[in-house]
This record gives sequence, C-alpha cells and structure tokens, in this order.
Amino acid sequence: MDPLFLGALVAIITIVVLFSGVSVAIGLLIVSAGFLITFDGLRSLELMPEILFGKLDSFALLSIPMFIIMGSSIASTRAGADLYEALERWLTRVPGGLVISNLGACALFAAMSGSSPATCAAIGKMGIPEMRKRGYPDGVAAGSIAAGGTLGILIPPSVTMIVYGIATETSIGRLFLAGVFPGLLLVSLFMAWSLYSTWRSGNTETLSPRSYTWQERFEILPRVIPFILIILGVLYAMYGGVATPSETAAVGALLCLLIAMIIYKLWHPRLLWQVLRDSTKESVMILFIIAAAGVFSYMLSSLYITQSIAEWIGTLDVNRWVLMIAINIFLLIAGFFLPPVAVILMAAPILLPIITTAGFDPIWFAVVLTINMEIGLISPPVGLNLYVINGIAPDIPLKTILSGSLPFVACMIVAIILLCIFPDIATWLPDYMMGTAR
Amino acid sequence: MASVSSAAESKTGNNQFLRIVAAISTLSGWLSAGMIMLSVLITCQMIFIRFVLNGSTVWQTEMVVYLMITATLIGLPYVQRMRGHVNVDLIPIMCPPRLRYYLSLFTLSLSSAIVVVMLYYGYDYWHIAWSKGWTSDTIWAVRLWIPYSALPIGFSLLLLQLIADLVAVILKIDAPFGLEDK
Repeated sequence: MDPLFLGALVAIITIVVLFSGVSVAIGLLIVSAGFLITFDGLRSLELMPEILFGKLDSFALLSIPMFIIMGSSIASTRAGADLYEALERWLTRVPGGLVISNLGACALFAAMSGSSPATCAAIGKMGIPEMRKRGYPDGVAAGSIAAGGTLGILIPPSVTMIVYGIATETSIGRLFLAGVFPGLLLVSLFMAWSLYSTWRSGNTETLSPRSYTWQERFEILPRVIPFILIILGVLYAMYGGVATPSETAAVGALLCLLIAMIIYKLWHPRLLWQVLRDSTKESVMILFIIAAAGVFSYMLSSLYITQSIAEWIGTLDVNRWVLMIAINIFLLIAGFFLPPVAVILMAAPILLPIITTAGFDPIWFAVVLTINMEIGLISPPVGLNLYVINGIAPDIPLKTILSGSLPFVACMIVAIILLCIFPDIATWLPDYMMGTAR
Repeated sequence: MASVSSAAESKTGNNQFLRIVAAISTLSGWLSAGMIMLSVLITCQMIFIRFVLNGSTVWQTEMVVYLMITATLIGLPYVQRMRGHVNVDLIPIMCPPRLRYYLSLFTLSLSSAIVVVMLYYGYDYWHIAWSKGWTSDTIWAVRLWIPYSALPIGFSLLLLQLIADLVAVILKIDAPFGLEDK
C-alpha cells in the first residue's frame, strides 16, 4: 500500500480512536498495535514493550518529574498571592498598575510553576476580585489572567519545551532561551491591550492607586525572592554549562520543596503528600504519553510513513509559508481538544521532517507551536484556563470570560505573525548565549 | 485537558473487589511517588559528589533513570484510578447517557485488550532478560531483569484497575467516563 495513503489512514483512525474517549497514551498504543499487526504481522508486537521501555530510558526525561515537583511545590504555597502582592505594592504608581502587576505576577509565577492552570488559580484568586473591586471591566480582569496563565508553557523552565526537545532531539537549553523574548513580547502585548481596553471602558477615575509605605514594600520581599533566586539559579546552572537540565531540575525541586516547607510551613505530611501525589500523577501521565508516542512513531517509521510524508512535502511545489499556515491551523485545531504535551508528542515525529525540509528552524518552530498551544488553552471547548477562571470567579459568566479572552487570542496571533516576520525574536538569545547552531 | 480535572477518583461503593483494587492502586501510587522523590535525592547526592567533592559517580545516573521508568510503570494504575490519564471527552460528553454507557464499556475493553498485549510481551521481554542473564553495558552492569520487571508488574496492575473500572461501570457504581449527569 502507498505509504502516503497509509499515513492518511493512520491519521483518520488515530482521530477516531482518540475521540472515543480512550486515554491518549493507551489510544496511541492501540493504533500502533493495530497497524503493526495488519502490516507487519503479529510478531512485530513483540517489540512494543521494548520500545516503550527504551523510550523512557533517558536521563534527559528525568527533568520532567523534577520540574513538575518544583512547580507544584511552589503552586501549593501562598507564593502566588505573595508575588502578586509584591508587584502590586511596587507598581502601584504606574498607571493601570494593577493589571500590569497581575500580568507580571502571572509571567513570573508561570515561570516558577510551569503550569498554566496553576498560574491562573494562584494569581487569579487574588487578582480578579481586586481588579473588579477597583473598576476594571470583568472581561479584562478574567481575560488577562486566563491569558497570563498560558505563559507557563512558554517562559522557561517549561515542561512543554522539554517534551518538545525530547520528541525532536533539539537542545532543551536552546529551547528555554528561545522562549524568553517571545514570552516578554506576549506579556507586553497583553499589557498594552489591557490598558487600552480599561481606558476605553471609561472607568479610569475608579482606578485609584492605593499607596504603600516603603516598609510595606520591603517586608514582602523575603517571601518571594527565594523562589526567584532558585529560578535564576536553575537557568544560570544550565547556561553556565554547570549541569544538565535534569541535574539542575533535581536541585531546584529539592530547594523549592525545602523553601515551601520552611517559609510556607508546608511540613505537615498530608500537605507534602498532596504535592508529591499531584506531581506523580502529572509526571506519570506525561511520561506514559511519551513512551506510547515512542511506540507510535516507531510504527510510523517502520511503515515508511514518516519518510514518505517528508519526501512528498519536498516534491510539493507550495510556498513554505502556505505550508506553515496549514501546519499552524492543524496544530490549532489539535490544541482545542488535546493538552499541549500530547499534541507535541503526536505531531513532532511527523511534522519535524516537514519543517526542516521546508527550511524552518526547529527551535523557532517550537516557539510558534507553543504560542499556538497557548491559544488552545484559552479557547473552547477544552480551554482549560477558562474553566479555572470560571471556578475561581463563578459570578463572571463564562460568556464574559470567553469574550474577555478573545482579544488576548488576537495578541497571540499577532505575536505569531511578528515571529514569522522577525524570527530573531526567538532565535537571537539562544544563538547569542550558546553560539549559532549547526 | 479539562478531562483531567473533570472528575475525581473512580468510585468503589461498597464493593469488596473494587475496594481491594483501589487500595492496591493507591499503594502503587505511593510507591511511585516514593521512587520519584528518591530519584530527586539521588540526583542531588550525585551532584554533591561530582561538584563539591570532585569525585566520580558510578551507579547514580543509571539508578535514577530506572527509578523513573519504574515509577512511571508502577504509577499507571494509580493515575488510572485518579482519572489522571488525559483523554478527549468531547464525544462522550455529547453522547446520550445510554450510548455513553456502551461507549465507555467499549473503550475500557479496548484499553484492557491492549494492556493484555503489553503485559504478555512485557513478561516475555522480562523473561528473556532473566533467563539469559542480560546486564546493562555500563560499569555498574545492572541485571536487566530487575528494571524490566516493572513492565509486567506495571501493566498487570493497570489491567486490574481497568477491569475494576469496567466492573464499576457495569454495576452502575461509577458513571461512564466519570461523567456525572448534571
């Protein structure tokens, strides 16, 4: 059978199987087994456990559970609220300071926790009521937090980037650095929109700043600085060539747990177990999808599907940007239904050869892909962040949250367009810090 | 990922079998969490030896990788019980209750079937490593049947939890896909 036709068949059957409600990892194993039996015979199943095990047999993967522990120990504390307080106290004189400090707190917390829903919950619980109390429109209050939360998967250290790095065998260090400026670009776009729409709503007279004494400003710092230092330390250790991502993540995880225990008094075994339980749940889920996606991509290449698609794209006479737009639309749709990690793992083995054949930089593509996944996080039907916001501010109708988030989706699309025109936004920092690739 | 948080752990009711399986799965969750924590500590110890004492390390890297793999495989039943394995629940949500019930029987049976395949060949793989005395090609030379044993153990525990979930849906103790009618 023609490998291209086979590829289309795999795609359709995978979609049908996944939409039946079976879990993603198991679904990938089912599809792989089905095609291997049909085209390579029953004996080819023998290899499945070996490939599954082999896929997990990598020291780099260890950074995933480590960063997850780091994030969930921070997320389990009041660190989010403290961060928000600190920024609010320091930025109170900046016009529209409240929404700026909310978005800033989202960006910082997102970097520390690496989790979008956790960021939304941690900052939104304090930020949304405060913004509404001070006259910010509901849509802006909800939308800014929903959008700000998505930064977790872009700003380093990001688990999504690690997964992309592992799936495509690109440098995790480079990927992290590539996320920095696009992350800042997104934050600026979000801030600009929030300020503009607040100003347009005409409620500016109620946006009176509260004043804080210098003592109030300084006394909050000791509670937030340790976490920020750890993040900076982790990044320094990775880029100073001191240690690998997994090693730094392990130290970061231990330090964050210790700080949570010491500063936030998280010493009760039940609370500690909660942190460990949540991180175990998330790590196992992601690692199992990674392993299953390994089997899936083995199936694709043993049936020559991956290779044929790449060849086929090479012979196609389409403009590379048309191709890029098509890929982005495909990813956007996938992102509406599936979490970023699952989309990346399934799409990477197929998309990467296409991307590189068409002459795109895989590091740059990681950033575009991640922003694309962020859109999925604040779009229905799955749009996890929308539901988190709905959970913490139940009196804002879901419709207002949705319409409040839409302009932020537009900001993300603007960011993707800017990245297409100026790819240096993503690639300059990794090239500058780590030397030009290739 | 709404499906991750949409429902809490699967229900057991007063059913003895479901309770026992739930207890086993919870225990494996503890083991898995313990192994992940242990690998954090071992990695930190390795860094201490390497960067502070300037010593060399032999077994740590391999050990933490095997711990992580084992934690993943042994953790599978626990995550299944906590409904932590992400799925796309758009169609199940849109289905009328009766169809949803049958769809859930179908997906759980299909999942069990593939897990049986993984269990069968996983056991096979482990058995070869054990009978031929395979070791890893490092200085530490780990007897590979030890880490490989996570394959049959993890998948048999996952199978047990999947069967329990199937039984719970059939006995109407738990809602299909954990989706309660609103």
